[in-house]
Amino acid sequence: MTELTVFAAIYVLLALLCMIRVAKGPSVVDRAVAADSVDILTDVALVLFALESGRGIYLDIALVTAILGFMSMVCVARYLEGRL
Amino acid sequence: MILRYVSDAFVVIGIFFAFAGTVGLLRMPDAFCRMQSSTNISTLGLYGAVIGGLVKAISMIVEGYELGWTMLIKIALIGLFSILANPIGGHSIAKAAYKHGVRPEKEFVCDAYGEDEFDD
Amino acid sequence: MKKTSFGAWLATFVVCAAFWMLITLSLDPQMLIAGAAVSALVALFAGRFFIHESPFRLLNPKHLFALLGYVLVVFPIELLKANLDVAKRALNPALPINPGIVKVPSEMKSEYGQAMLANSITLTPGTITMDVAEDEQGKAWYYIHWIDVAEGTAEQQGDAIKGTLEKWVGRIFE
Repeated sequence: MTELTVFAAIYVLLALLCMIRVAKGPSVVDRAVAADSVDILTDVALVLFALESGRGIYLDIALVTAILGFMSMVCVARYLEGRL
Repeated sequence: MILRYVSDAFVVIGIFFAFAGTVGLLRMPDAFCRMQSSTNISTLGLYGAVIGGLVKAISMIVEGYELGWTMLIKIALIGLFSILANPIGGHSIAKAAYKHGVRPEKEFVCDAYGEDEFDD
Repeated sequence: MKKTSFGAWLATFVVCAAFWMLITLSLDPQMLIAGAAVSALVALFAGRFFIHESPFRLLNPKHLFALLGYVLVVFPIELLKANLDVAKRALNPALPINPGIVKVPSEMKSEYGQAMLANSITLTPGTITMDVAEDEQGKAWYYIHWIDVAEGTAEQQGDAIKGTLEKWVGRIFE
């Protein structure tokens, strides 16, 4: 256990705080933006945890999460514009 | 050893900006301003940790772990992908929000987009 | 629909193959052949969406060094300044914001230049580019959501938003 575990835990806590906005947000856009923030914060936590544990596989997962988050954000935007 | 403190310093900077972005996301009054705060998370909140991770991977290479190279390349790829993809997501969601009819409770100071209304 | 030119195919192929090699990190011939085959197929279908104008422009050393200077020095400084500004606004108990949508002109002529400037503006916190429109003279105008609108004409607001970014993007793509 080093300081990187603590940093990763702080990022996960911030992601949990963002979940408040996902639950509360009055419109779809608020929820989508907050969900994207949760995605990015989880990504960072995965990167830090990979460095801490010394396993490269977590970095692959982080890359895939980043790509999926971007795709879902664009899909929500296209749907709201009515062009999907 | 010094590299470890440098990497920690970058990650702490990232945590500060991620915290500011989260507070902004919870406090800002309307959807567009919340987007501005979430940009705070997706730029320096992410890059602080990514640059810190790169420095940490370099320190692993210096100490002689083979794994350091894999980590270095993959973390750099994550950073590169995010810097290319995040602005596109932000731009498309902002435009979609405006066309969907999301407006702040307090009026905009000026609204040039609504004045020249056009469809494409 | 536009056909895929050979230059566009080659550029997309090189990017895809490089990405494959970085992800797999092996020089095993089987892996390389599989990656090359998939990259060739992807480039055939996606090349015309990925590359619109001159594909090998950045191989010119003048443009390449301008890009490196922009990415490594100019842009991080602007990013740090804008991040500090928005973080201060979010943490301030009084929440001093003044949001609005402004319309500012852009000097960029090429598609790449316009896209890169718009993405740079979106990436700095405090400003989000919402749309790009062209007027009758072919000049591009950006619609920008700004968290703290300053008074002034469109040109003055444009200078306040774009700062030094526009000059540097112009050096790369004009």
